[in-house]
Amino acid sequence: MQHSAFVQKQQHDREDAELLKRVQRADQRALSSLYDRYAPVLYPFSLRMTGSPEAAENLVQDVFGQVWEKAASYTSHHGSVYAWMVALCRVKAMEKIRPTTQKRKGQEDEGTSPRGSSEIEQKTAVAETIVTLKGYTEEVRNSLRSLSKLELRLLELSYYEGQSQSDLARMLRIPLGTIKAKMRRGIQKLRQVSAQEAK
Amino acid sequence: MTVKTEERHAQLELCIPYVFGRLNPGNRKQFEAHLTTGCEQCSGELSGLYGAIALMPLLLRQEAPPSGVRQRLLSRISSKKPDQPRNERPTPQREKIAPPAAQPGHSWYLYATIVLGILLNIALAIWVNQLVGTTASRSVQIADLTSELHKKQEVLDFLKAQRIEILPLAGVDVGSGAYGKLLLDPDKRSALLQTASLPAQSEGKQYQLWALKEKKYFSIGVFDVTSEKVNIVRVMALPAGEKQDIEGFAVTLEPKGGSVQPTGPVQLRSATR
Repeated sequence: MQHSAFVQKQQHDREDAELLKRVQRADQRALSSLYDRYAPVLYPFSLRMTGSPEAAENLVQDVFGQVWEKAASYTSHHGSVYAWMVALCRVKAMEKIRPTTQKRKGQEDEGTSPRGSSEIEQKTAVAETIVTLKGYTEEVRNSLRSLSKLELRLLELSYYEGQSQSDLARMLRIPLGTIKAKMRRGIQKLRQVSAQEAK
Repeated sequence: MTVKTEERHAQLELCIPYVFGRLNPGNRKQFEAHLTTGCEQCSGELSGLYGAIALMPLLLRQEAPPSGVRQRLLSRISSKKPDQPRNERPTPQREKIAPPAAQPGHSWYLYATIVLGILLNIALAIWVNQLVGTTASRSVQIADLTSELHKKQEVLDFLKAQRIEILPLAGVDVGSGAYGKLLLDPDKRSALLQTASLPAQSEGKQYQLWALKEKKYFSIGVFDVTSEKVNIVRVMALPAGEKQDIEGFAVTLEPKGGSVQPTGPVQLRSATR
């Protein structure tokens, strides 16, 4: 049975797609509506990634600026507008916070090269995800309680700070195999929650 | 390009490192080339992964950015038009209507009308240009005032908190007379900083507030000191984790935009817990 918040979220996705079409037609009010919905999620996300309110503000501006300019590059096969914007935000944040590390570690097979300019990443940033719906956010949080502290920590370090698995193994003094297994399990649990909303 | 089934399965293993940005440039290029072949397995896998990791930001406490951000965004996009879809046929442009060429036999008032039309267009363009300039300047003023108002509102909202802890910050250079206070809201995990008599930062510099936790410094945010004697800095978020874990706070002078770790001299410091 679908939770009402997930149903509401699907309604949001449809509205977002409509808003994005209006953005393509240079409708500033549509962009403002998307901003109202998602800036409260993307701002703390940017803050977490950059660690500075000023940089986070600039990042949020950049993301919505990109949404304005590149709305046409989004099509329905990209997934939800929210997931697309989160992907844009992360790519831009990694560009800002990791330029030197990227060059230094870029040659590692599992290196830290963010795919900043990767169009495909943006195009495949599918997913029915969430947003400012409080009920939905709560449901997601409850669902994610199944993640162990270590699984969540590993995902956070990798997702927000771009740490490689071998870096994590060194830093946390945990065997690389365990790191890989824990991360896979964490991702699997996230996918189960994500799949629940897509049903 | 045809891709063998076995190859698709091998590429499937690259999806997670790809999503986390952990493939080296060569493998990434190869993987993206593979994706352009339309591999449904990999596309499906990536879609699921992106959907999954997009849940991560929802674990953070939602917080709207300062209102100035919206104003700056709107003012930034006002001069730009969104790109149009590449595959969309270009809208047929109206053919420019050229003024009728002078034909032998046309009367003088035809030329007069054209000249008058041109003059009117020029006058209109100048007027519109001035109007746009004024409007843009007013928009910037409004954005600044709104931002200032928002900051003040933020401070007032902060002070409404049920519990506020006050932590004094002492100037390291005793002779400077600089001091500060850090107001901490343990429930919302936010802080409001007030400084006094800190020298205004030089060009290319900014002050940065740090939290000391497990003997490591964590940036809380950068701020500017104006020429005012007392400076109230905006509300800033404390680093994740238990507040009790924070051993102390410090303010340093850093290059504009802040540093990853303190590099400049410590200006203010709290007592270490």
